[in-house]
Amino acid sequence: MRARDDAPLETPVTSMIDIVFQLIIFFVVTAAIDKDVIDESIRLAQAKYVTAEEKTDPRAVLVNVGEDGGVNIALQPLNLLQLQQILTATRTQSGNSVPIVIRADGTAIYRYVDGVMQAVGKSGMYRVKLSAVATGGGKSAKR
Amino acid sequence: MSKRRISTESLAIPMSSMIDVTFLLLIYFIITQREEIPEAHLAVNLPSPNQAPQKTDEKPNLLEIEVHPGQVYLKKMPQTMDQLQDMLTKMAAYDAEQTVIVKTSVQAQTQELVRVLDLCKGLGLTKLNVMTLK
Repeated sequence: MRARDDAPLETPVTSMIDIVFQLIIFFVVTAAIDKDVIDESIRLAQAKYVTAEEKTDPRAVLVNVGEDGGVNIALQPLNLLQLQQILTATRTQSGNSVPIVIRADGTAIYRYVDGVMQAVGKSGMYRVKLSAVATGGGKSAKR
Repeated sequence: MSKRRISTESLAIPMSSMIDVTFLLLIYFIITQREEIPEAHLAVNLPSPNQAPQKTDEKPNLLEIEVHPGQVYLKKMPQTMDQLQDMLTKMAAYDAEQTVIVKTSVQAQTQELVRVLDLCKGLGLTKLNVMTLK
């Protein structure tokens, strides 16, 4: 006579749930909710020699400059006068040492970046940084 | 004699709905996960409104680079990027503290300016000033 298998036919879900929860915890922890709103349409210029920023000053103001010269902060389109007003307000609130990071499209002509720099200068700020994609990992340019 | 009714409901925790929600969460996080692009910030000097210009009799050591659309000039001489790198390597070895003024044409692309600034930084030249050629 054949012995009947008494083991239940259920799929063992316990270990699967364990793994799924681990994955969820990983994504929750690594998802930066307070991350700055980045304009995905901007293709930054590439920099071979400088190193990527480990930590950005939390006070930094990110100004996006599109290929067509459109300026926005956190995807909010602005003209140069509005930008200047925002920067002046930032200066009044947090001082003039707040870094202004210009995220300009690599193919945008410099006239647009210059307009933003002038607005920064007129607002009384002076710490300007140009953003680029770090591709080389900080290798030296010396020959 | 009264008979107590025995509950026939299963005491197992209902897992199906929890698994559904869990999978939904997992899918949401996988979809919204964005690849981190390593961004570098090239500091550019603008005159500080609070800082009075220093008056010295000594003539400052200035290095002038002009960025035009598709062409870079060092001390008014046209250079390819390789030539510029060679020249700047020599100059940086001589004095890395010298002030570099990058004059940029309004018609030049931003990536052309970034390339020059990146090269200067890579050579240890840190006093970078950007001016606009009208």
